[in-house]
Amino acid sequence: MRADEASLARLMAMSQKGDRQAYATLLAECQRWLRRYFARRIAPSQLDDLVQETLMALHNKLATWDPSRPFLPWLAAIARYRWVDHLRRLYRADECELEEEIIGNDDEPAITARISIDRLLGTLPEPQARAISLVKIEGLSIAQASQKTGQSESLVKVNIHRGLKKLAAMVEKA
Amino acid sequence: MTSPANDLIAELVGNLEPVKPLSFTRGLGYTLAAAGVSAAGIAVTMGVRPDLFAGKVDPVFLLSAGLFLVLGIAAAATVIVMSRPQVGNDHGGWVWAAAMAGLLPVAALIVAMAGASDPLSRASIAHGLDCLTIGGAASLLVFTVLVAWLRKGAPTSPERAGLLSGIAAGSLGIFAFSLHCADNDIVHIGLWHSAVVVIAAAIGRSLVPRLVRW
Repeated sequence: MRADEASLARLMAMSQKGDRQAYATLLAECQRWLRRYFARRIAPSQLDDLVQETLMALHNKLATWDPSRPFLPWLAAIARYRWVDHLRRLYRADECELEEEIIGNDDEPAITARISIDRLLGTLPEPQARAISLVKIEGLSIAQASQKTGQSESLVKVNIHRGLKKLAAMVEKA
Repeated sequence: MTSPANDLIAELVGNLEPVKPLSFTRGLGYTLAAAGVSAAGIAVTMGVRPDLFAGKVDPVFLLSAGLFLVLGIAAAATVIVMSRPQVGNDHGGWVWAAAMAGLLPVAALIVAMAGASDPLSRASIAHGLDCLTIGGAASLLVFTVLVAWLRKGAPTSPERAGLLSGIAAGSLGIFAFSLHCADNDIVHIGLWHSAVVVIAAAIGRSLVPRLVRW
């Protein structure tokens, strides 16, 4: 069974008060949620690392969630921040194929759509989003991405650089 | 069955301590208290403008000090909001306050070009440098409070958070100093007092990101 927004918020409020049982349940649910959230937006071999990095960030920044506000948009902001940071650190991934798992069947489809990574990527101009997807997510080389998009190699690099910079500034954009 | 993720979760659960959620009111309260201490420090050590207690306050002072105060509060409030990430947060409200305060240097340039005041005289520059130095020093406490708050928080755009910390600190610092500075010349206020905000913003933008990245 998948926990809904209200249950997660309740677990988080209890966790902030030091309830370890609630925290264990919350982290297990967050781990599942994050795996779905990142699934199509990171090379499969890097998924575990990114999920764990995000869980650690969640733990370190526990006090930054406001109990009067929804939980998932907070978790999504942390996840997006870690994802962009991960892409920036990533030089090149080896994987070319992505799993086609769909994350859109959550209990709150409207919230899910607003906080998704696709929506964040959608804020970029198409050439920048495509360059980032091909090189940083699918793991193609600059030359391969250049061939596939028709952009010159230097333009692919520029688009990646500008796109990542823009993503970093737009993490909280709904 | 154990996995690295399950091991990590067990470790994080074991390390859990109760936390006090960062509150917007508390963050803004600390910032305004720091601004109040800075203003009181200026008033006690340097004295306040004589017209403040004479009941005949100059309108240029009122408007300019008010604009810096509003900009400082708007930027500080945005910094506090940025410390608690949330997809859907809006960080743009301070821009309108900045646009209004930006009218001060624009007005200063127009008046200076009309020749009504000489901003390049030795006396003007010396007086301006005093405001720049002491106004900058009066910004430090607010700047420290905001950076400390951001370090506890989770700003997703450290660069913008740094820029806004500088704007908030510079605006509240020069507001504090303007309680002492008796110069009502729009050219002096628009150029030198605004320069405190611009320089503090540049310092915040370059210095803060490395202090608050997480």
